[in-house]
Amino acid sequence: MHELAIAQAILDRAQAASENNRGGRVLKIGLRIGEISGVEVDALTFGIEALSKGTPLEGLALDIERPKRRLRCTSCASEFEPEGLAIGCPACQHEASDCIAGNELDVTFIELEDPPCE
Amino acid sequence: MRVDVEEKVLSENDKLAVGLRERFAAQRVFCVNLISSPGSGKTALLERTLEALPRTARVALLTGDLQTENDARRLARAGFPVKQITTGGTCHLDASMVGRALGEWNLADIDILFVENVGNLVCPTSYDLGEHCKIVLFSVTEGEDKPLKYPSIFAIAELCIINKVDLLPYVPFDLDQAIANVHQVHPGMEVVQTSCTQVRGIQDWLAWIERRRATAIPV
Repeated sequence: MHELAIAQAILDRAQAASENNRGGRVLKIGLRIGEISGVEVDALTFGIEALSKGTPLEGLALDIERPKRRLRCTSCASEFEPEGLAIGCPACQHEASDCIAGNELDVTFIELEDPPCE
Repeated sequence: MRVDVEEKVLSENDKLAVGLRERFAAQRVFCVNLISSPGSGKTALLERTLEALPRTARVALLTGDLQTENDARRLARAGFPVKQITTGGTCHLDASMVGRALGEWNLADIDILFVENVGNLVCPTSYDLGEHCKIVLFSVTEGEDKPLKYPSIFAIAELCIINKVDLLPYVPFDLDQAIANVHQVHPGMEVVQTSCTQVRGIQDWLAWIERRRATAIPV
């Protein structure tokens, strides 16, 4: 259940964005959570709801991208999305590759309520 | 109004980890982060490791658990500096816990720092502690498919230790299949086999540490 600690880190970032923008209410947080990031999206969503309850962040929406695992062959440099756990290159059958996507755990954007007209 | 952020959720932890890594580099401390399920034998491996080292070795340990000082008490018997990190409910160590636990230790007096993470194959994978390498351990009582079930830690760790090999005659564990599973997730990964009750494989593990330390901290 490290999702709770991650949820708190996300809420802290959103709170900071609000404070840096004259306390505008946070409407939405954009997240990028790769499929092998080790983060369970349902547990994270639950954590964000539970931790924001009764705070100014309550009710915010989440916009979550889920990048698939993507590898680049260390021999021929072709890029591929492997089936399951396989790591072999489908182009040249080389057995080693670098992970170039799928382990992201990023805050991409924060959407705030527009400040009132002066 | 949309504010573009584009930063890692754990950027605060990562910043602290960078700070720790710089301290380790400056004081020439080689730091190892040991990760496994609960009960795989991390503490037992460290006990045998400490017993195999000369009393003059400049080694220190941090050990993480949700509760109790039991592991620190076990490890302290060998006479090296040990600190327990009790996380309360948290299922992993993070860089701030490690920074606090190092406290007033003089890192210049330490050559190797072993960090025994909280028993968990999932969450510790996400947290950089400033270590030079993560090491994953699993035991023959757990089943040979652990690397396939928890691929992230096996992909990121530099060494895999298969522990409790003295029990191989008594459990349905296919060692060749286990190693094949490790290599399916992490081709070429080094595997060391240990038994902490029969004190087997400890020298192989120590030799690996010495080799890895030499590349991390060139003379």
